[in-house]
Amino acid sequence: MEEEKKKTAREIIENYDGPKVRIMEVCGTHTHEIFRLGIRKLLPPQVELISGPGCPVCVTPVGFIDEAIWLALEKGVTICTFGDLVRVPGTKMSLAGAREKGAKIRIVYSPADAEKYASEHPGEQVVFLSVGFETTTPAECLSVKKAKKDGLMNYSLLMANKTMPQAYEALKGSADIFLYPGHVNAITGTKLCEKLTEEGVSGVVAGFTAKELLTALAVALVKFQEGKPFFVNCYPRVVKAEGSREAQQLTDEMTEACDSEWRGLGVIPESGVRLKKEWSAFDARKKYDIPPIQGKANPACRCGDVLQGKCKPSDCKVFGKVCAPQHPVGACMVSNEGACAAYYAYGDNK
Amino acid sequence: MCVGLSAKVVKISDGTAVIDAGGAKREVSAQLLEDLEPGDYVMVHAGVAIAKITEEDDDETDQLMEDML
Repeated sequence: MEEEKKKTAREIIENYDGPKVRIMEVCGTHTHEIFRLGIRKLLPPQVELISGPGCPVCVTPVGFIDEAIWLALEKGVTICTFGDLVRVPGTKMSLAGAREKGAKIRIVYSPADAEKYASEHPGEQVVFLSVGFETTTPAECLSVKKAKKDGLMNYSLLMANKTMPQAYEALKGSADIFLYPGHVNAITGTKLCEKLTEEGVSGVVAGFTAKELLTALAVALVKFQEGKPFFVNCYPRVVKAEGSREAQQLTDEMTEACDSEWRGLGVIPESGVRLKKEWSAFDARKKYDIPPIQGKANPACRCGDVLQGKCKPSDCKVFGKVCAPQHPVGACMVSNEGACAAYYAYGDNK
Repeated sequence: MCVGLSAKVVKISDGTAVIDAGGAKREVSAQLLEDLEPGDYVMVHAGVAIAKITEEDDDETDQLMEDML
């Protein structure tokens, strides 16, 4: 008897006829790739994709931008930053606005480039805007280690680094399945995801190519219909169960957990990291004694709800009208990984 | 800022790797990966090679589909 032909991942997704399911793309790059590759168009109506809090620029609160502007304008430091942060609105202005007022803002590719700039400009005090998740923190730690080795006294980090575990806990009920961010798992491993399965939270780790994303979604839909919590690593070429020991050791050695504010989610206890006491010479908040600054977002902006999957970008009143990539109101429209930017770029208002 | 870039290692020296990503070459830190050699493929994030990868993912995703579905 001829064996029944196996279905492709695409066929499984297109022909899914199971119960309604909400899948959260935790990672902003997943949101963009799924749009770009046209995968949304394959989904039957009962499969809903919602965006999560996995874009570091988007979850960085307004107060952080205000702190950076205070450093640049009041203390005259040179701010080195990833490009996406420059146009994120602060309470009164963005870093781009501060630059118009004379602030020195430099866009760099990596923390290592910021450290190099500091070593080449000993007359300037340089602060790197350290944002990101478990993937980016090791790079920022390495830059501090290098600065110490080079004997630099003019380099420090303004940190808003975050860790994902507490965010998953906070978002537990927001989706049926998490599409876990592959590169965070490359660092952290998969232990936490397996633990979340025991708490009833399902998810798959996904890669970023068309085939990897289709496979992850197909596996998620098949497993979901079995009715039990599940976890599958669908990105095994990069993600190993134990993660990156070297990166974990480095961040454990240099940083400690602290409470951290997430745009939209508020302060989540122990969800951030800061440099340990022995590295405090490189902690800009201590070095410059930054006063407490409470940022205030534009009240019309619903980035906070978007980041929790409570609404779609197109549900926001200012989306696509007042808020567009040329004149963003919220962070999710600025960043290349932001959900609002994806909805705007790919014209999907559903 | 958060995009991972897969790239081929061209040269290794002193904890630094020169990588080739689709023809564009740049220096990245190789301090988080042991035994990296020219010819290896890596995932680069914020100027640091964070994971070694296989050149082609097709075999692994095919195997996953075979196992799971």
